[in-house]
Amino acid sequence: MATRVDRFAIPAGIAATLATLAIVFYLPVGSVLVSAINVGGQLTVDPLLTVLRDPFYTGVAHSLFVDPLGVPRGISQWIAAGTPSLRLGLFGFTAYQALLSTVASVVVGLPGAYLLARFEFPGRRLLRSVTILPFVMPSIMVAVGFLAMFGRQGLFNDLLGIVGLGPVELTFTLELVVLAHAFYNAPLVTRLVTAAWESVGARRVETARTLGASPLRAFRDVIVPQLLPATLTAAVLTFVFTFMSFPIVLALGGLQLATVEVWLFARVRDLALTEAATLGAIETALSLGLIYVYLRFEALQVRSSGDSRGLDREPLFAGLRSLADPRRLALLCYGVVVLVLFVGPLASLVIESVTTPAGRLTGDYYAFLLSMQSGSGVGTVRPLAAVSNSVLFALGALALALPMGIVVSVVATRESRGSRLAEALLTAPLAVSGIVLGLGMLRTLVFGTELFGHRLTITGPVAIVAAHAVAGYPFVSRNVTPALSAIDDRLVDAARSLGASRQRALRDVELPLITPALVAGAAFAFAISIGEFDSTVLLAEGVDSATMPVALERYTGNRSLGPNLGPATAMGTVLLAVTTVSFLVIDRVGGRWEG
Amino acid sequence: MTPGVGIDDLTVAYDDVTALDSVSLSVDEGEFFTLVGPSGCGKTTTLRSIAGLESPRRGVVSIGGHDVTGAPPEDRDTGIVFQNYALFPHMTVRENVAYGLQFAGPLDAGSPEARVTELLELVEVADLADRDPDQLSGGQQQRVALARALAPEPDVLLLDEPLSALDAQLRQRLRVQIRSIQAELGITTVYVTHDQAEALAISDRVAVMHDGRVEQVATPETVYREPATRFVAEFVGDNNVFDGVVSESDRRRATVDGTAFPLPAATDYSGGQSVVLSVRPESIAVESAVSPGNDRAGTLSATVETVEFLGDAYRVHCDWRGRSVVVRTEATEPPAGDVSLRFDSEDVHVV
Repeated sequence: MATRVDRFAIPAGIAATLATLAIVFYLPVGSVLVSAINVGGQLTVDPLLTVLRDPFYTGVAHSLFVDPLGVPRGISQWIAAGTPSLRLGLFGFTAYQALLSTVASVVVGLPGAYLLARFEFPGRRLLRSVTILPFVMPSIMVAVGFLAMFGRQGLFNDLLGIVGLGPVELTFTLELVVLAHAFYNAPLVTRLVTAAWESVGARRVETARTLGASPLRAFRDVIVPQLLPATLTAAVLTFVFTFMSFPIVLALGGLQLATVEVWLFARVRDLALTEAATLGAIETALSLGLIYVYLRFEALQVRSSGDSRGLDREPLFAGLRSLADPRRLALLCYGVVVLVLFVGPLASLVIESVTTPAGRLTGDYYAFLLSMQSGSGVGTVRPLAAVSNSVLFALGALALALPMGIVVSVVATRESRGSRLAEALLTAPLAVSGIVLGLGMLRTLVFGTELFGHRLTITGPVAIVAAHAVAGYPFVSRNVTPALSAIDDRLVDAARSLGASRQRALRDVELPLITPALVAGAAFAFAISIGEFDSTVLLAEGVDSATMPVALERYTGNRSLGPNLGPATAMGTVLLAVTTVSFLVIDRVGGRWEG
Repeated sequence: MTPGVGIDDLTVAYDDVTALDSVSLSVDEGEFFTLVGPSGCGKTTTLRSIAGLESPRRGVVSIGGHDVTGAPPEDRDTGIVFQNYALFPHMTVRENVAYGLQFAGPLDAGSPEARVTELLELVEVADLADRDPDQLSGGQQQRVALARALAPEPDVLLLDEPLSALDAQLRQRLRVQIRSIQAELGITTVYVTHDQAEALAISDRVAVMHDGRVEQVATPETVYREPATRFVAEFVGDNNVFDGVVSESDRRRATVDGTAFPLPAATDYSGGQSVVLSVRPESIAVESAVSPGNDRAGTLSATVETVEFLGDAYRVHCDWRGRSVVVRTEATEPPAGDVSLRFDSEDVHVV
């Protein structure tokens, strides 16, 4: 029955959500894209060609745009010269490091899926939930953790020292960037592949076996075809994320290892906005293409075999026999890698925050966080202000992201046309980096823009909250949509025929049933906002609207506070605590993000 | 007894699909009325229209003579039980049953707490009152859903395939129980099922539906013995249906594929008229030897193809001139090979 809720509230919600997205997302991003092909009102490809023809950006590929006819000759000369290494250029290098990171993530992630899907052990469910953690971890915090773990004085070199190796210098190396990307994305691979592995019906494997397949053949013919789409999906997503990765490369690589995103940031800092916009447009076009590939792979995924019984899990620990089992020994080695790569940086972060370089326990760094003004020079971010800003912005972003996410969920569960629209709305923010969004907001909202005859200016905290809400609302929606569509319409019918009005049924039946998902979505959005760095660092004006991640980056870069990472690690530990609480909330109420 | 239900010229359509096409029915006070038909026939849509969960394009729904067509579900005195029970998963059994009482007026049966206890005892789940629905078996959930629907003392009880998710034995036990509770309360009940045997077993009257229309409304006995349409003849019970033509020379006979079928005495037909004949499997006798037929009886020379042993009888599938004819026989040995199938004129029903 059409009710007032259906007729007015929902269309109004949709209109408000679309309008908000148009102003704080599509307008800014659109302006970046347009500025790449529009100079002074003239349609032109000059800015694009300038970038594409510059070997600095495109490496050897620049000759494709400078002298396309000379390419075959160039290739034959290159082969004649014994295929020396090529100049990659900024885009080439960005893709190269993304490729390395993707390979590393898949290599580290797949054994985890094998472990989680095929073995039973105490803590398996917790470990499976923990794979969601990277989504709520601020990447600048992870970067600081990696510096603390793998730096010259870090825990890793201490460990190497114990076994008589090292020391190794990993700071500002490509290896460290790739490792940090693996920290972020391997759990994603694990998560997606585990889900696919668990959806393999035991009866399919049993059927293959009774038809004569050996265990290995059954694995190849039945299980692998189900894991492959999930693995490819995770790999493409990893490639997109690492292609656009920003804080990790900035903090661990610096300008020596600059990717498109870092260079883009540097150009904005230098106020070369047109060049930055052109870079952003090319980057966004590339990632949109990749996101399209991702969606195609995702559609290939086998949802469910309709076979309720999954594969049986073996016990991981089978007494002394385990020591003779090569699979279990391999998993033990894998466990060591996991400890070093995943636990190490976070543990180092916490340890460094309470120890002096001489190894004494100290609370100084936390005391520093509480000080209102450290007074060590102009431009230093005041720590306490950063903490309170972060919390305030996160609450603001939550207030915006929750209704937006709910509206998109309602649209998605209504009809199939709605669900495609919702999918497009939810995926678009994935394809646009925080830097591009921040840049777009600077160009439009912050500098002011003409809209329907009114001058619209959104600056400082409001712009930051809007950017955070755009980053967070897809998480709200991804959690609420499954909960909402799982509600049987007949529950509402039953309530109404028992005498409840439509509004009462909404309050008594639907709301309680989506509350856990709503809380999980809110925790996601809150954590995303707390950790957001990319657009915040562009939009935070001066020191007054800096957030924790921005402060963290300043402390990492500015060693005037001392020769160690102390203040940064202390701030990082606070972020870690917030993240952990968010994770616990999400895990408690069963939050989800399967891609 | 509670008031009856009237449905007049009811039409429900979604986009281009007509779910109900001008359906008219009337359910008497305290009657157990069943809507039966294959999936997609409109039986559930009819039930939901009575509850106010559909928006009819045309027609009138009335309860106790009052037009409720435009009334929202909460303003109708109906209680509904769905196939999947639709228990509120976030409430206990007791909270589920009590939910409707907060909206109901003063009860005949004392306090809400007493009413909940009374209902839980009526459906024999009083010991499960503090469980969550997901801790209950299907049969228990069904009972709770019934108690919940009955708690606010509705005028009309609506049951939408309430037993179809349960196994056969439990289904039979519960349907007897539902029938006895209904009779005890004297509550007007509309029951939806796709199972014609269930419909015949449980109902005062049955409406057979097909393609959004009502084919026949009658007592179970009449529907079984005197199907009004070919669809009813084929849908309700095992049956053999033949297309015949009344003979020009002898109007007490019809010809099917050149073979004479005797027609019942009570009716009168014109020569050359096309008729649909039905003969129930239990009305046909199987004789092993091919014997000459007499004037009154039809005789088909057939071959046994498959025999099913049912415990108290055999169901025999025979081939007669390329058609399948089903026969039920209580013989102690299964028939085999070439057989004669014989039936009397009174066993033939003209649809």
